[in-house]
Amino acid sequence: MSKDRLDIPDYNTLFSEHRFVEQRLNKQQFEAPCSEQETAEALAYSQSAEYMEKNFNRKAVVINPHKACQPLGSIMAALGFEKTLPFVHGSQGCNSYFRSHLSRHFKEPTPAVSSSMTEDAAVFGGMSNLIDGLENSIALYKPEMVALCTTCMAEVIGDDLSSFIGNARQKGVISEDFPVAFCNTPSFVGSHITGYDSMLKGILSYLYERSGLQAAPGSGEETGEKLNVMLGFEPYTGNFAEIRKILDAFDTKYTLLGDHSGNYDSPATGEYEYYYGGTKLADVPLAANALGTLSLQKYTLKKTQDFISETWKQQVSALSTPLGIAGTDKLLEAISELTGLPIPASLLEERGRVVDALTDSHPYLHGKRVALVGDPDLLIGLIGFCMEVGMEPVHIVCSNGDVDFNEVKFKEEAEALLASSPYGSEATVYVGNDLWHMRSLLLTDPVDLAIGSSHLKFAAKDANVPLIRVGFPIFDRHHMHRYPILGYQGALNLLSQIVNTVLDELDRNNSGFNYDLVR
Amino acid sequence: MDPIRKDEFDSEACGSKAPKSKPCPRPKPGEAAGGCSFDGAQITLLPIMDAAHLVHGPIACAGNSWESRGTLSSGPSLSQYGFATDLNDSDIIFGGEKKLKESIDYIAGRFAPPAIFVYSTCVTALIGEDMDAVCKEAGDRLGIPVIPVNSPGFVGSKNLGNRLAGDALLQYVIGTGEPEPELPPGVNLIGEYNIAGEMWDIEKLMNSAGIAVTSRITGDARYKEITWAHRAKVNMVVCSRALLGLAKEMESRYGIPYFEGSFYGAKETTYSLRQMAYLMNDRDMERRVDRLTEREESRLTQDLRPYRKILKGKRAVLYTGGVKSWSVISALKELGVQVVGVGTNKSTEDDVRRIADRVGDDTEYIPEGGATRILKTVRERKADIMIAGGRNMYVAMKEQIPFIDINQERHKAYAGYEGLLRLAKELTYSLANPIWKLASSPAPWDKEVPYDR
Repeated sequence: MSKDRLDIPDYNTLFSEHRFVEQRLNKQQFEAPCSEQETAEALAYSQSAEYMEKNFNRKAVVINPHKACQPLGSIMAALGFEKTLPFVHGSQGCNSYFRSHLSRHFKEPTPAVSSSMTEDAAVFGGMSNLIDGLENSIALYKPEMVALCTTCMAEVIGDDLSSFIGNARQKGVISEDFPVAFCNTPSFVGSHITGYDSMLKGILSYLYERSGLQAAPGSGEETGEKLNVMLGFEPYTGNFAEIRKILDAFDTKYTLLGDHSGNYDSPATGEYEYYYGGTKLADVPLAANALGTLSLQKYTLKKTQDFISETWKQQVSALSTPLGIAGTDKLLEAISELTGLPIPASLLEERGRVVDALTDSHPYLHGKRVALVGDPDLLIGLIGFCMEVGMEPVHIVCSNGDVDFNEVKFKEEAEALLASSPYGSEATVYVGNDLWHMRSLLLTDPVDLAIGSSHLKFAAKDANVPLIRVGFPIFDRHHMHRYPILGYQGALNLLSQIVNTVLDELDRNNSGFNYDLVR
Repeated sequence: MDPIRKDEFDSEACGSKAPKSKPCPRPKPGEAAGGCSFDGAQITLLPIMDAAHLVHGPIACAGNSWESRGTLSSGPSLSQYGFATDLNDSDIIFGGEKKLKESIDYIAGRFAPPAIFVYSTCVTALIGEDMDAVCKEAGDRLGIPVIPVNSPGFVGSKNLGNRLAGDALLQYVIGTGEPEPELPPGVNLIGEYNIAGEMWDIEKLMNSAGIAVTSRITGDARYKEITWAHRAKVNMVVCSRALLGLAKEMESRYGIPYFEGSFYGAKETTYSLRQMAYLMNDRDMERRVDRLTEREESRLTQDLRPYRKILKGKRAVLYTGGVKSWSVISALKELGVQVVGVGTNKSTEDDVRRIADRVGDDTEYIPEGGATRILKTVRERKADIMIAGGRNMYVAMKEQIPFIDINQERHKAYAGYEGLLRLAKELTYSLANPIWKLASSPAPWDKEVPYDR
């Protein structure tokens, strides 16, 4: 078929053709009457240190934000439970954004519904929307649980979820025993990680309280044998598989509290179902009797961790995303401590192999200056990993970094971590800043590599820095989320991504004497 | 067959200047609904590339939407910046007007845009921000237009937002400027957003026939050109659901005749070009259009031959909204593809009538969303391919249905004669890709008959 194929370019190449370039030049008469020189001057100014100062003095406007809002995280948490339908109470557009956002990252459908509140609901409250919505969505999507969260609108008018759900039961729209977990997730507070935490806590506490099991703690069959594990707002489905592999190597029993990897990595079998995998609802009350809980995103999971330690009276080991060798070592120690099991030999062997890989690559990474953007727990992991292989974090921007864990702020921990190594001495941690700030940083104090989500690509391009896509969201590359970044295997994946980018850059920029075959 | 939906409140075209009591259809609670009015207003105006677009509200409305639409620019990129006032809880209690004013000042000072569009959101509407006053004051002080777009998410659907954006253009933009005297009389393209560069293809065709574009509303537009849209001789409404009201109002205010047309498919393209020349009342132009369309159509017939052979008799389910619901049917028919199911939930009455004119009795109308409903149609009607937008794409993949993205995220331009050729190519490639055979056959050891190549 390739022989008789007509070559019709798509827009990536088509509009570079002469006729279109000409058309474009013609249009400049309508643009703001600036000469090319003025434009060039303005551009140069925007790259200057003087502009950077003005940029950092900016208080009012956010330019190119790097955070999403609470309900988005809450949908992800809801999809971590078996046959659970995420339900967003508010006006309809929010839900449509969340579905697009998550689907574009995972390249999978996102089942989630909205109560589609409109003006009348703004005046009279959203109760009838919520009740109609529950009735319709349960009939349409046949969930076994609904996980309800709010948007700004429902929060501003002060809708009372608990009483609305009660009224829905009274009206017979849902039966008395149909589970509806809920949480409040106003978007004007926190970010997607706060929403994830609220919903996870909402679901755990709700299922626990209605189970009746709390009356007789320790009476569950599985008492004291299982470990609870929470990954948090986890954009990598591969990380779930990796953590399972590690736990299986320990030969411990465990319950993942919130596992959306089924929903976001389902097979193409020819028949789409709305729900795949997820934590079994019946496992939640039993989790109250577990050996302990391991949390892999301590800043994200603040409320949930508190709930577990206070209500379930369990030991909670809270880490940040375990990236790199040291990060994974901490993870294994935590599992070993919680379960009393020794660290398995197979993992030690894997560790050795990855350490070997790191030594192979270190000459190309040593002293590379790096800019980092991401969520707090991811950044702690990335900073550790970078310093481990001799890379130097320079600019670290965390839009939603104004969080603390046990009264230590993210910024303090990041700075302490950086201070622990000579490779961290050049770094500055910016909390609450956006990607336009990052652009100034990249332009005035250049780095070799940028690590962050797809959103960073514009600033990276302006500064002519290669971008290594890590985190959420990754819209413009395929399948990154299928490869784990945590654990030893994850360290290897991160390493290959980073070192091969460095080598690609070497080859791209050196066509002469050092364009050689063996590196 | 399902009856075509007859909602009482949907009997007026949404884009028309219908009385307030007959708004766009209300969304139904408990469904996976589409975008809100804020979304609709923003996507209508975002293609004004040199303007700044500031979202007044909590971070999410901007954070979730910036840089997510494939509307291309031939030059300025200010419209692609995500500007937001990022209101937090204390702003909601004490009001965000000061922050808004400072944000406008910052953008005007640092980016020097020809205009700033300021969008309200659910939150700012609910707490009663006086956006109009802040914008007016800032505009007067800064000497640039600062345009409030009052379209908070909760007022309704995306379509209503499109219409409210049209109202903002009428109220604040159109009629405020004058073109250079040497600009020839021309056509406004209304409701064409330059997705994947389609506007450029259309413009090239119009240029070949000597038809000038007066204003692009709004694909790859510059703010200035929209200010003189009232000097056009003809309005072409490319997406009727969105901005028909704008054309109607311009007809009554400025006496500019309008027509609804499309550039999907050769016939529709030819019709649209002819209609422009006819309404321009220019004999020479009509003759030029005739020559151009004849030449292009016969060339297209040649080029399409290999694809028509493959596509003939193939069955498609089309799930999209607005103008594409009927115009893509025409395009597909020209390629020999039969449309066996078509979505109607975002179509006006007129759109539905046009759909009915174009499809046979065997076609199923899909009045509302939800993956199940679409998939059921695909299965029952034995469709070969599904043509829809991004949110349905991954469902199609799960069901191993060949799929073509027709909505805003796509990277292919399907307008005009070349666009039809591109569509034919995409359809052929999608249908012919070996992955479908692989995906739909079981693993070799699961087959009853031994694996045989």
